[in-house]
Amino acid sequence: MSKLVSAAELAAQIGDGDSIALGGSFAHRYPGALVRELVRRGARDLELIKPSPGYDLDLLVRAGCLRRARVGIAAMDEGLGLLPHFRAAVEAGEFELEEHSCATLLAGMRAAVAGVPFMPVAGLDGSDLPELNGWGRVDDPYGGGGAPYAVPAIAPDVAAIHANEVDEAGNARVYGSPHWDRVLTRAANRVLVSAERLVPTAELRRRPELTILPGFMVEAVAVVPRGGWPGSTHPDHGADVEAMREYLAPGEEALRRHLAAAPEAPGGAR
Amino acid sequence: MSDRDDANLVVSLARQIEPGDVVFTGANSAPAVAACLLARRAHGTEFTMLTVAGAVDPSPRLLPLSSGGPELLEGSAAIFANEDFFDLCARGGVDKALLGAAQVDGDGRTNVSAIGSWRHPRVRLPGGGGAAMMMPTARHSVVWVTAHTPRQLVAKVDFATATGATALVTPLAIFRRHRDERFQLESHLPGSSVEEVSRETGFEFDGAGAVESEPASDREREALMALDVSGALTGSRARPEAGSEMSTTRSETHR
Repeated sequence: MSKLVSAAELAAQIGDGDSIALGGSFAHRYPGALVRELVRRGARDLELIKPSPGYDLDLLVRAGCLRRARVGIAAMDEGLGLLPHFRAAVEAGEFELEEHSCATLLAGMRAAVAGVPFMPVAGLDGSDLPELNGWGRVDDPYGGGGAPYAVPAIAPDVAAIHANEVDEAGNARVYGSPHWDRVLTRAANRVLVSAERLVPTAELRRRPELTILPGFMVEAVAVVPRGGWPGSTHPDHGADVEAMREYLAPGEEALRRHLAAAPEAPGGAR
Repeated sequence: MSDRDDANLVVSLARQIEPGDVVFTGANSAPAVAACLLARRAHGTEFTMLTVAGAVDPSPRLLPLSSGGPELLEGSAAIFANEDFFDLCARGGVDKALLGAAQVDGDGRTNVSAIGSWRHPRVRLPGGGGAAMMMPTARHSVVWVTAHTPRQLVAKVDFATATGATALVTPLAIFRRHRDERFQLESHLPGSSVEEVSRETGFEFDGAGAVESEPASDREREALMALDVSGALTGSRARPEAGSEMSTTRSETHR
């Protein structure tokens, strides 16, 4: 049975109020088209869970789709500095931020992956983050003397990644770095995929080790060429730094122009 | 930051890298990536370079704009992705983590979270990435700042994103500390002085053992110029990649 849907239908699988984990890292291989469809639909009260977000976080804040975020480090990347809308919202106290270390978000998601209530994590000694977030320590039950901090399980409602290739069953192939995509797709309750192109299942069978996500885990998939725009999707596309710069222009009109120029928009950049 | 500051910072960072080291560079880290490439090209140092892009020993011809993008996979024979390099550090396998900061204090704490109070920040910074886990677990944690003024080098950080720095490299000086002690001044630029470093540093330190550093060699300068044709580093005024959090902090705090 085919799981193929349009980008807008893919975004419709995410309900208002859901916590969503997005694939990629900084300006690289995020599901940009899915995020823009959430914006076009006017999604509300979402929570973003992502160790190293960029444009995706900033756009969701800018469009008023997000209620809160759990984040390790947030930046535009490609030499473009901080996320202006995210930053302004946090500084104005309009936005709920749960600041993590990337390693603690990873640990929390790994707890969900492994079906345990928490995961110990190394380091953190002397950091103000454990107190800020109320993380406790666990004593080594085997007498080793250590007492690492333990991060509670983090299970996003939905994970969404952008892959290079996908088949109709939702098997997804990624080239280049997987970034956080393995752990966040295993930690989430439901998984959505967008991809650069559709390939026959026979092609994926030829190199199964490149399939990051087996189809049985995937609920729906959309084929969206340049779906990672304006970020990079290695090796298919580099980052469109000029489009990222144009996105950063303030105001409603700049946002409208940016959304209209997107590859998945009618008449957008291809 | 002037071109001279960029060059001094990168050269000083490159000189921290020793043969056999496993070195990690983070996000928004053009100076640290440049330092690793410079250590190979100007010093011939053989070491393992890991980047937040997932590369192992990449060999990009030019310094990329992004410290975490696919350009940094060029020449890499393996992918060692986010989970891999964080786990490696957690179990003690990273010799030197090169990590940027917006504020550093004399006790080796860094702030990359917020200027002002965390709950009501005057400037929301990017966050520390892996730093809170990496700084205490890496064998050496080398913190770098793109400017050396009392705004970056403070008596006490506004928020301790991470602790455990063992070295602090600035465009002007290098400090060293043993864990649980305070930073001591190890060296300053030729022509500078302990007094000048004191004036530009917001924390107190012992400068009794400080020496003048070796000036950048012709080979170091030439290798750096050849790397940065892209302007990722020296073009930082137009494109604030090089420690972007600091660029913003500076402009904000100088308001």
